Amino acid sequence: MKRLLEAVRNSGAGLVLLATYVVFSVAAPSFFGPQNLLEILHVVSPMIVVAAGMAIVVMSGKLDISVGSTAYVASAIFAVIVRDGLLPFPAAVAVSIFVGLMLGLVNAIIVVGLKINSLIATLGTMIAFRGLGLSITDGGLIILPDAVKDLGNLAVGPIYLDTALALAILLVVQFVHRSTSFGRQITAIGNNEDVARRIGIPVDRRTVATLLLSGAFAATGGVIYTLQVGVNTAKIGDGMEFTAVAAVVVGGVSLFGGRGNILTSVILGSMIFQIVRSGLQQVGANPYSYRLVEGVVIFIAMYADALKVGTGSAGTRLFKKS
Amino acid sequence: MMAAPFLRMRDISKAFPGVVALDRAQLAARSGAVMALVGANGAGKSTLMNILGGIVSRDEGEVFVAERPVALRTPIESLQAGMGFVQQELNSLPTMSVAENIFIDAFPRRLAAIDTGVCNKRSRELLRRLGSDLDPRAVVGDLSVGDRQLVEIARALRRDPRLLIFDEPTASLSPRERKRLFDVMRSLKAQGVAIVYISHFIDEIFEIADDVTVLRNGRTVFSGEVASLSKVELVRHMLGSLDYEARLQRRRPAEPGVLLRVASLKRSGIIDDVSFTLKAGEVVGLWGLLGAGRTELMRALVGLDPIDAGAIHWSENGATVRIGPAELGRRAGFVTEDRRGEGLFLAMSVGENIVMPNLRAISRLGLVRIGEQRRSAARMIERLAIKTSSQDQRVATLSGGNQQKAVFARWLAGAPKLLLLDEPTRGLDVNAKTEILRLVNELAGAGTAVLLVSSELEELTRVCDRYLVIVRGRILAELPESATAEQLISALSLTDPREIAA
Repeated sequence: MKRLLEAVRNSGAGLVLLATYVVFSVAAPSFFGPQNLLEILHVVSPMIVVAAGMAIVVMSGKLDISVGSTAYVASAIFAVIVRDGLLPFPAAVAVSIFVGLMLGLVNAIIVVGLKINSLIATLGTMIAFRGLGLSITDGGLIILPDAVKDLGNLAVGPIYLDTALALAILLVVQFVHRSTSFGRQITAIGNNEDVARRIGIPVDRRTVATLLLSGAFAATGGVIYTLQVGVNTAKIGDGMEFTAVAAVVVGGVSLFGGRGNILTSVILGSMIFQIVRSGLQQVGANPYSYRLVEGVVIFIAMYADALKVGTGSAGTRLFKKS
Repeated sequence: MMAAPFLRMRDISKAFPGVVALDRAQLAARSGAVMALVGANGAGKSTLMNILGGIVSRDEGEVFVAERPVALRTPIESLQAGMGFVQQELNSLPTMSVAENIFIDAFPRRLAAIDTGVCNKRSRELLRRLGSDLDPRAVVGDLSVGDRQLVEIARALRRDPRLLIFDEPTASLSPRERKRLFDVMRSLKAQGVAIVYISHFIDEIFEIADDVTVLRNGRTVFSGEVASLSKVELVRHMLGSLDYEARLQRRRPAEPGVLLRVASLKRSGIIDDVSFTLKAGEVVGLWGLLGAGRTELMRALVGLDPIDAGAIHWSENGATVRIGPAELGRRAGFVTEDRRGEGLFLAMSVGENIVMPNLRAISRLGLVRIGEQRRSAARMIERLAIKTSSQDQRVATLSGGNQQKAVFARWLAGAPKLLLLDEPTRGLDVNAKTEILRLVNELAGAGTAVLLVSSELEELTRVCDRYLVIVRGRILAELPESATAEQLISALSLTDPREIAA
């Protein structure tokens, strides 16, 4: 917690987060206060999970922009299973996450096996996976049964269950990144893949693992989101990949890999976007303006970070142990 | 008298398609001694070391480690046999800590997590063995080049190698860092490690090495104690007896005026107070071993690398102006050995490559006149006799010599007053070399001043009017056209007078 506050103070993203929060608190009286903050933390939790997976991939110097479509496929399969009562609830969740893992494996085969640039490879699978999902649902709505719907908005005391789950996942990812061989080695790969290879790091195996994780996390995020809204629609996950990349990078992880603190980056980055979205909703802004504002926020956050940390080294200060 | 060598490589041969890299090469290294491995470019040092590292497999020959034959089929087998490598190119992970850099491929673990305490403690021990008290938690990107290298040596030491190979480790070190590295090598030697030290610096070899092995054209031409030979003899072993071809017929401008005067050019640690002049129509050889600062000097002159101090004066039509390196870069043509990487747009056609720097001259209203482009390119292809099916052929598919001609053609179109040529004939066959040299000669005849770098002495002596001898970034001597190969070779073993004093 202390480190999080430190990061808020030290990074441009932290300042932007505070600024947006203050602006909307002033603009919409109902915005300020713990109740709405908990609400925002609830709504942002799928994005935190997806961004956590994205952060692992970005840390290794690659990108996975198929996460939105992966989330959609997982959501579709989950919704079909639950609607038709094919499997009990826990099994439905497990199958959906397994599907995410398999889609991650497809990415891994293309990126590692066929040696295709991850951006291009996942751009392709982003389109293909979306097509896969649409052919499962025929593009229609799948409404979850009421009993299942309630699970998405379950809270223990004031804290929503999915908020707790998302934060727990993020903390595990943070631990894996900072304190395990795997985490350090993907950071090394993000530093310089050729060097990592020369030093003897199993670069291909690690890359496969990052893409599998990213797929599984995207699917998890997709399921959480579906439970929150209680319905699968063809728009699920649409644009999620870009928000996830933006959240991770705005938060301070280098787009080229090897630098940054996953925990603070994902929280700061995801929260900035959710606060902007919720804030705009509460001031009654035109819904079509959301993306415009989000785009502007990306530039402001990156610029603020460059000013604060010094150009070219965005994220270094977050990374150093204090 | 001498203990059996820890490593013995016997009759190692290796051929790559079209080239024999090693031809029954021999090498032996003793424990507790530094063995220098030297040789000119292409002598086979890297191939020999790659065989030792398990990266390249040998065609013939045997390798013995502590008297036992080893296969060395993979890098892992090489490590298991007790080899450690410190590459010239740093393999650092700049965003990560010193300890992480040392242990990245095999962290000590406690349950699932890295045992940071053990990791830092063992890093500190390894660094202490190297006489360094670097903090294992320091971020490597914040360290000096010398300290980063220590981190890499520590990484190699982690496996407790019995033979450590240093591949040109001093290339980017400051004199102080170099001295410290030598201290490290001496202490490792005292700990009984066998050290193979690859270097182009003659003075360093005499400073640090006990034994020396000289490779030339894939063969071992000398092997013995350093003390048994002189610097001049060592250089002669490296370069071998030279096959002289006749000087090319020359025609030079009648009254050449000074074109370029460079005064006290400096770049910290790389170029040390370099001054010289070039006259119009003169071919000057910049003669030095690899790593002496030849390429670096040329890059600094044309503004590709920054300089710390120095002045460049340019004289034309009786007027002398002081210009910066960037301006010199615009006025001079610069041809490098790396024609594929730096010189040519490989995916474009021969014709497009030739006209590229002069598009403005053949354009009207910002549009390239295709007819003019084709005529201009055709003229150059004819003038240089570039062998190509048509000017539309992709330049990537030309032979090396013809690619280099295409690079020349590009500069000739702009008729530069000064040409800087960095190993322009590298990798070309004999005929192509002669054609390039003839071209150089012809250009000088037409009044272009040429500064020429070549590792091949017999090539320089065919065209040069004068030689500047460069050693460690300093011009230590200037020799006239009449200088013999012997004199030129001796000049390379000159040592900077200031270093002797130091």
